[in-house]
Amino acid sequence: MDPSASGIQEPFDLIRLSLSERVFVKLRGDREVAGILHAYDGHMNLILSDVEETIMIVDPEVAEQGQSVVNVAKRKMDMLFVRGDGVILVSPPART
Amino acid sequence: MASQILPLELIDRCIGSKIYVVMKSEREFSGTLLGFDDFVNMVLEDVTEYENTPQGRNSTKLAQTLLNGNNICMLIPGSEGPQE
Amino acid sequence: MSDSTPPPPPAGDAPPAPAPPTHVGSPTDFLKGVVGKRVIVRLTSGVDYRGILSCLDGYMNIAMEQTEEHVGGSVVNRYGDAFIRGNNVLYISAAEAL
Repeated sequence: MDPSASGIQEPFDLIRLSLSERVFVKLRGDREVAGILHAYDGHMNLILSDVEETIMIVDPEVAEQGQSVVNVAKRKMDMLFVRGDGVILVSPPART
Repeated sequence: MASQILPLELIDRCIGSKIYVVMKSEREFSGTLLGFDDFVNMVLEDVTEYENTPQGRNSTKLAQTLLNGNNICMLIPGSEGPQE
Repeated sequence: MSDSTPPPPPAGDAPPAPAPPTHVGSPTDFLKGVVGKRVIVRLTSGVDYRGILSCLDGYMNIAMEQTEEHVGGSVVNRYGDAFIRGNNVLYISAAEAL
């Protein structure tokens, strides 16, 4: 596995190669968003469009019984700014 | 002032020996110190990670590991970690 | 003055050699050895990412390939590529011989 074979020398290359593509973003506070990446900076501030946020709702009563039943809600936003310090992970679409 | 020793010089003397690392959270690591940098990011070998939970202590064995200095609270030179 | 030797240290109080800025086994050396290998990246939240380390930078931002997201011992997600923001990283551990 030669990392240079994938054209990535530094982690931000992965983000640069994902511009105009749909990316999955995992955020602090159990938030997840997916959208088209328009811009980013060194803080990992992001501009996404056509965004779908997935909201995890854990029922505290059920969670107490040790079962992790999580209800999922979704909402859509046309355009979104994500502050970089909340970002945990960004995953670009699969490379082919 | 002749005996003044910098904190990181003490850690430098621990290279090659066991060290016990206590994080800011309920997490601890023991292992052999291979090296560190100015941020006290540390490279450890033959590592055991201890996670203290209300249910008890979980431990995990790890091979060579780079530990982020950001979350470190205390370093205990020469200690193998929690006894028992 | 230029070639005056420092006074000998008092007996029993040998001064330590000043810490060298880098040495074999430093974080940089570790990272050079681990790029391209299978690693376990644990975040401070306790979530693990297992995969091949593509590269990283001085902030410990990480790019990984063939990444599996482990929560509480089971795989909850897979990513072909993943960028992990460095401030979340607790440790990077080698998952194969270096």
